[in-house]
Amino acid sequence: MAHDIRDLADEEVMQLVQRGDPRAFELLYDRHGGAAYSLAYRIVGKQATAEDVVQEALLSIWRSRLRYDQTRGSVRNWILGIVRNRAIDGLRRSSVHDRRREPFEGFEERFEARERTDVEVARREEARTVRGALQTLPDEQRQTIELAYFGGFTHTQIAELLHEPVGTVKGRMRLGLDKMRRQLVEGVA
Amino acid sequence: MSDHTRYQDDIGAYLLGALNDLERQAFERHLTGCSECRDELERLRPAADALPGSVVQLDPSPGLKQRLMAEVEGDSKVVPLEPHRRRPTRLLAVAAVLLLGIVVGFGVAQLGGDDSRTVTATVAKAMPQAGGNLEISGDDGTLRLHDMPDLGGARVYQVWYQHDEQLVPARTFEVGRSGMGTVELRNVESADGVFVTREARGGAQVPSEDPIVSVPL
Repeated sequence: MAHDIRDLADEEVMQLVQRGDPRAFELLYDRHGGAAYSLAYRIVGKQATAEDVVQEALLSIWRSRLRYDQTRGSVRNWILGIVRNRAIDGLRRSSVHDRRREPFEGFEERFEARERTDVEVARREEARTVRGALQTLPDEQRQTIELAYFGGFTHTQIAELLHEPVGTVKGRMRLGLDKMRRQLVEGVA
Repeated sequence: MSDHTRYQDDIGAYLLGALNDLERQAFERHLTGCSECRDELERLRPAADALPGSVVQLDPSPGLKQRLMAEVEGDSKVVPLEPHRRRPTRLLAVAAVLLLGIVVGFGVAQLGGDDSRTVTATVAKAMPQAGGNLEISGDDGTLRLHDMPDLGGARVYQVWYQHDEQLVPARTFEVGRSGMGTVELRNVESADGVFVTREARGGAQVPSEDPIVSVPL
């Protein structure tokens, strides 16, 4: 048995969280809180709102920790999925203009996470890689994916926004994800 | 267009959370019977899973962690037994026997040759066919129950550890139609008892009923 919980994998830490160990939960926050906040900020676009989203989402995770099922995906994806859904819930109550916002890369880069630890270096490197894969998609595929994932629009809403048939929008989503997967998993551009 | 082709077109939208509730439910029903769509879903999933990591990485304020952990610490205090349950460990188990009309007595069977032991569970009279035991090996244990009623979708079974006069919430589990439940329990050796109650899905911080399964340790 490991003597330091920092040596444990997320799934093992989650078992401690499920037993109600707040130190284990703090460790999960240290590992994924930055990614959760960055995702929430990308979606809602305001620091205070993003922090509220993360606080509410992570507290709901703590309180429903027994629902985590290891067979349905990683702890990180589970956490980020809940943060995304919570942020989208808030966004769906706001205006279409807010939901179509593009990331203000220049502005955000000035506040980008400082690289203090190996984890943060890896987090930024991963972000650059995935962002690079997203940027290589044809514009209409990237836009459709971003409107859906970060804007919370359904495929029918996106079809109306872009004046395109629903089938076209769904096709762009699938083709775009396939192209991203080939780049990220297979290294094929 | 066949049903299958239509649902195949939905895979990207499903992974991006872009189906409405009815479409999502219909797609998930289709998935249960279509291995081709399940395979395609899993093939594309890594791309969708990578999306949250694509955003510019920022630091939240230190205050966020402080606020969050203050709430978590407040939640995580162990649950004291209510006054009418505040009694010594063995009396609690005996009281449960008397109260519920236990049909299976409890006993301890020591297994030879190592540090493992098996303790028979006591169960409520309302479940005459049910039974089980807790096998403890080292610090951890495995609770195995059989012929437990299927609680359906809204309720689950929840395990509780007793430490002195406090009940600490642990895992929830379901038994399905088989009535069989197997629950891995960590650090159970230090507990004074293990109990099971029926709770709303997601579990409870305080038991809502007297135990229907008891394992005195």
